[in-house]
Amino acid sequence: MSLSAHKLSVGYHGQTIVKEMNLTLPDGKFIALLGPNGCGKSTLLKCFARILPAMSGEARWQGKNLHHYPSKQLSKELALLPQTQPIPEGIKVKDLVAYGRSPYTGFWGKLNQQDHQVVEQMMQQTGTFELKEKLVSELSGGQRQRVWLAMVLAQDTPYLLLDEPTTYMDINHQVELMHQLQILNQQGKTIITVLHDINQAARYCDHLVVMKSGELKYQGSPEEVLTSAMLQNVFSLQAQIHRDPVSNTPMCVVEDRSPPSPQHKD
Amino acid sequence: MTRPFYGLTIALTAILLLFLGWWNLFAWSVIPIQAQDVWLSLTHFDSQSISHRIVQDLRLPRLLTAMLVGACLATAGTIMQGLTRNPLAAPSVLGINAGAALGMALVSTLPVLYGASSTSLAAMIGGGVAWLLVMLLGSSWRIGGNERGRLVLAGVAISALCAALTKAVVIMEEDQAAGVLTWLAGSLADARWQTWQHYWPFALAGLFGALLLTPSLNLLQLGEEHARNLGVNLLRSKLFGSFLVLLLVGTTISAVGSIGFIGLIVPHMARLLVGQDFRIFLPVAMLLGATLVTLADTLSRAISYPMETPAGAILALIGAPFFIYLVRKRTL
Repeated sequence: MSLSAHKLSVGYHGQTIVKEMNLTLPDGKFIALLGPNGCGKSTLLKCFARILPAMSGEARWQGKNLHHYPSKQLSKELALLPQTQPIPEGIKVKDLVAYGRSPYTGFWGKLNQQDHQVVEQMMQQTGTFELKEKLVSELSGGQRQRVWLAMVLAQDTPYLLLDEPTTYMDINHQVELMHQLQILNQQGKTIITVLHDINQAARYCDHLVVMKSGELKYQGSPEEVLTSAMLQNVFSLQAQIHRDPVSNTPMCVVEDRSPPSPQHKD
Repeated sequence: MTRPFYGLTIALTAILLLFLGWWNLFAWSVIPIQAQDVWLSLTHFDSQSISHRIVQDLRLPRLLTAMLVGACLATAGTIMQGLTRNPLAAPSVLGINAGAALGMALVSTLPVLYGASSTSLAAMIGGGVAWLLVMLLGSSWRIGGNERGRLVLAGVAISALCAALTKAVVIMEEDQAAGVLTWLAGSLADARWQTWQHYWPFALAGLFGALLLTPSLNLLQLGEEHARNLGVNLLRSKLFGSFLVLLLVGTTISAVGSIGFIGLIVPHMARLLVGQDFRIFLPVAMLLGATLVTLADTLSRAISYPMETPAGAILALIGAPFFIYLVRKRTL
């Protein structure tokens, strides 16, 4: 109910990518946005995070146009982890994570006792506490991604938006991150993440949103959404659906390469 | 960055500034001034004494202006590097100096415009137009569109264009040319109490405003997406920052002419000393800028004594190699 799109169109340079979309994201769920490259899932996420404006229609928060809220107020409600992070020079891990408290601090950005506690707690939770005196620029890619996650978590928002958080991680770190997100979700956060790995989404998330060519195609639990028909329609892929032997969630196995269809440009 | 070390850096820089300032008041004078005359002229002013009069009427306003010029240009450079996240950004690199000089050249030479506006306003407008063009060409207003090399190239191109137009204006109005050329080179030799009076209120307002901007500048270093996510109003910060830059540079150029490189060098020096936090290094940059311009002004009288070399030329001598060092060190 809290985050929704109403006839929302979003795009860049006059080109519409998300087209008149109607979507309501359920509260309290661990949601994956899925779809082929260029389907508009990241664009939609960026609009919810106020990085991109709506071309027409509205992105709404609590029933009101998201872009009408003051920046600082929304930054206590919604946090975004963008796809790529800059590598800031000369900033220590603990200082970077502390910036996550900016929405709560006074004008000068001075942290109080509670802020310090949250910062420390988030570093512990993401396994970055041991790195706190290191420079962010000295870390490995996986460590750096965890530090940025700690910063976004320090924002302490009920909603967390992530844009392909696992893209630059090896499989070990991917699993670790998805597991961590699952715990956060169980603690009450609504998590909305763009993912590419469908099986990963079905295993960890409890609500899938599938887009194609800027439109909403499927929405619901992994059981409802992850079907051979969906994979055929959205990804032009012949696949069988099996059970993940560990988690008993649905999982797709590609049958064979089907010839590329004209509308699927990859 | 630990606090005691920060305090020590501030204290040492301030002491160095005071010492250089005191030296500036009596050194390299055609009419010899004793060191103790400086103190006496401040405490027991004797209007009959020539050296007292030189210190009071010429040296003191000149010194105060030099200090403020340094602080303003260092601050403007800091804001520009923060807003564009580009280590090469500075008023002189991104066309603001040249634009402001063109604005002043137009107002002070063209009869149509003469008296239409004050020179500082003309400098602000000229600098503002140049800055706007550079930002548009370097596509720095768009979110995500921040190509570092392109911004600097745009700055170089707009600077060259403004410089050419300024020269054309000066050639057409030859009787005004000498005056225009003097402040194109940037000299503190003509700074008097009158200059100071027109300068300090705007300059101090700009410096204070810059301190208010520092928390947002810190967050902007995380990239625009993160800054936005953390509640920074990007458009407001950029507009406020640009306004401060124009205020600081415009009033400075109309007071003493075009002085380059302070805005480029000093923020890097301050960062090296006390780290990347804008809230901490901006005050250090202000003090260092003041120190460097005071030193350059003192040297401007020494190099071809008893003639004066413009302080802007001396700073360019120090600044140009540093600029080359930065270009080579950083990947653009």
